[in-house]
Amino acid sequence: MMRIRFSFERKMPLAYISHLDMLRLFLRALSRSRLPLAYSQGYNPHPRFTLALPLPLGITAGEEYGEVFFADKIMPDQFINVLQPQLPEALVLTGSAAVDPEEPSLASLVSAASYCCTLKSSSSVTVKLELLQAALDRLMAKEEILALRKTKKNKTTYTNVRPYIIEVSVKNADQSKLLEFSLLLQTGSQGGVSPGYVIGQLEPEPGAGNLHAYDWQIRRERLYFKQNGSMQPLSERR
Amino acid sequence: MPAIESKLASILARVQKPARYLGNEWNSVHKDHSGVAVRMALAFPDLYEIGMSNQGLKILYESVNSRPEMLMERVFAAATDMEELMRQHGLPLFALESQRPLADFDVIGFSLQYELSYTNVLNMIDLSGIPLYSDQRNEQDPLVIGGGSCAYNPEPMSAFFDLFVLGEAEEVLPEMLAELVRLKSENLERKEILTRLSALEGIYIPALYQPVYDKGVLKGLKKLDSRAPVQIIKKAVADLDRVSYPTAPVVPYIQTVHDRAVIELFRGCGKGCRFCQAGFIFRPVRRRSRQNIIETAKALIAATGYDEISLSSLSSSDYPQIDTLISDMKEALSASRVRCSLPSLRLDSYSVKLADQLHQGRRSSLTFAPEAATERLRLVINKNISEEDIFTALGDAVKAGWQGFKLYFMIGLPTETDQDVEAIVTLCRDIRRNFGQKGKRSLNLSVSVATFVPKAHTPFQWEPQLSRPEVLERQQILRSGFKTMPGVNFSWHDVETSFLEAVFARGDRQLAPLIERAWRLGCRFDGWTEHFNFQLWRQAFQELDLNAESYAYRRFSYDEQLPWNHLHCGVNKEIFIREHRQSLAVDLPQRSGQ
Ligand code: SF4
Repeated sequence: MMRIRFSFERKMPLAYISHLDMLRLFLRALSRSRLPLAYSQGYNPHPRFTLALPLPLGITAGEEYGEVFFADKIMPDQFINVLQPQLPEALVLTGSAAVDPEEPSLASLVSAASYCCTLKSSSSVTVKLELLQAALDRLMAKEEILALRKTKKNKTTYTNVRPYIIEVSVKNADQSKLLEFSLLLQTGSQGGVSPGYVIGQLEPEPGAGNLHAYDWQIRRERLYFKQNGSMQPLSERR
Repeated sequence: MPAIESKLASILARVQKPARYLGNEWNSVHKDHSGVAVRMALAFPDLYEIGMSNQGLKILYESVNSRPEMLMERVFAAATDMEELMRQHGLPLFALESQRPLADFDVIGFSLQYELSYTNVLNMIDLSGIPLYSDQRNEQDPLVIGGGSCAYNPEPMSAFFDLFVLGEAEEVLPEMLAELVRLKSENLERKEILTRLSALEGIYIPALYQPVYDKGVLKGLKKLDSRAPVQIIKKAVADLDRVSYPTAPVVPYIQTVHDRAVIELFRGCGKGCRFCQAGFIFRPVRRRSRQNIIETAKALIAATGYDEISLSSLSSSDYPQIDTLISDMKEALSASRVRCSLPSLRLDSYSVKLADQLHQGRRSSLTFAPEAATERLRLVINKNISEEDIFTALGDAVKAGWQGFKLYFMIGLPTETDQDVEAIVTLCRDIRRNFGQKGKRSLNLSVSVATFVPKAHTPFQWEPQLSRPEVLERQQILRSGFKTMPGVNFSWHDVETSFLEAVFARGDRQLAPLIERAWRLGCRFDGWTEHFNFQLWRQAFQELDLNAESYAYRRFSYDEQLPWNHLHCGVNKEIFIREHRQSLAVDLPQRSGQ
């Protein structure tokens, strides 16, 4: 049994397909590649393949992770060389490594993700950076940010998402026509929050312009795991 | 084209399912527009997920794109949210592969599979910025052509089309395109080109004929050019092993209705059920050889990576030695762990055995179409299975561990009485009684009841559709019968939907303004319950003072001119009359009403 962990970049327009479609896409590519997939046991055996973290529709990604088990030994380089030609151009494999089959699953490892969110103004309405920075400070100073969430039983409940916001910063480029947010947000089984939600919570002064007048582009930069209480990029895990 | 690209990018970010419009899927074919002699857009007038499940579309994509001098791209109906944004931003309908506007193509070919997609056809022509009516188009406009089963009576839509292909298009379409290139190189005018194309077999140019009416009754067609053929005869492929088959079909990014590889075992069906248009228009039965099937299946899986392959045809259990084929297939595909499925099972023990052979794992439900619940009515429609067959087959299936059945019936069949309808309820009750209590699990029954739609080129083409009040009454019989039967999931077809299907299935050229009016009133996606708005259709009937009932509810006589008389499906009228008479002669004493 061989376990390969790999990273990949996901560009436009493949941000527009769902997590399930993405899984299907990889499985079909793997099947075409004829690499010796390992299958699960049971009634309906399926290939042992996972992606670390679902990506919301419309978001591109710089460094996503996936994992796949093989029945025979294959080399990490061979994996990339054989699989890449079976993938659409918008998916680029960026790294691969053999991982101990006993190591915890990717999904349980990932605890945060960093995002870059670019807001491009399509009109003359712009928000002053100082105001935005002030709004951001106010947001980060809050102890509680209550978000309405759906529970399993189709009810709604309020969750405090403030603890999930680890870092946010904003800068501008091109005379306020382009705003750039960097966010580090908790994610995974311990709870999380989406970058769009966080930015949507910003309230610049009245009359200062509205962030909805911008075209948003969100990119997930990297995935993180927790080590000794701090977040480390997944790529640093040995 | 950066203009369309940047507009498209900002639109895509705002629609519900942007992946429908991406193109660039695995195996999609991208050719240089300037490097070919003729460019065709294949248009499917429904959502991407529906169109990409259509095998005919894949076959044509292959047959045209396998020729270096031609290219074919795909386009589907824009969902209503997409349409709104496209109109707002002035983005024309574009083909998925190159994102070029449809107006840039030489030919736009619509796949006409369902009558209730007609308003979508108009919407797509309009979104392309091309004049709706054939006679309004000029030399620069693409040819708008159509094919598919609705082309066997295309008359309601003929004013919007320049040309129809009658029959199986995989050979005749490339031939027609090649001829078009040749005629264009002679610098002929559009009208002359079309007239000359009518010399090809299976090609119908509606503008070459004019219907003659006498007091609103169709008397026949007048030829407007002496070169127009009196009758257009459908084209059929002679040997399936000798035409190209799509072994590397486009693999969609998103889930479609049939999300699997498909290998066609044979074309046509020898059963001759009298209501079934497919059974007549796809004659004769032509088989693909076993070796070809296995080889094609292997190539399909290698090129797509699908984990399931469907052994498809109108009645797959009828393939000779299908059991051997299935075991050969399983062996050939064992390395890639591909599942096989049989989509259309006959209701008999043999078919149940096949399903067992195919299906490991959980056996959830098997689908059958008895169509009618009494033996008499099954004789009328020529669906010859006995009650005993049904119970033996279902018994075998239950023994093999199947946990449920999905059963398809029809109401409104010729000679049907209330007793025949009540018999559907009784049959299902008996099935539950016989098989429901075995073991711990109860049997799941899902019963779907459609309303009979008389179709052109069938022995029932002269038969009227059951009138609205009677349909409602019979649906009520079923509803109250099934209400007291737990564990049965009963569904039925909307009466107005079936009515419109019948109107267009037997309609003539007078219906074109109606379809246009309904589309202008906002009708789209009429086949979708959430979009269908019969009020708008009723308004269109009234505004145009059209008696739509006469198309659906009137009995046509043997000697009247049927709107599709000039189109020949390969089966002679005498055979239809004979079949029709035989059906009416079944067990006369039990008939009522007539
Ligand atoms: S209903 Fe089915 S079995 Fe009958 S003729 Fe049509 S395709 Fe064949």
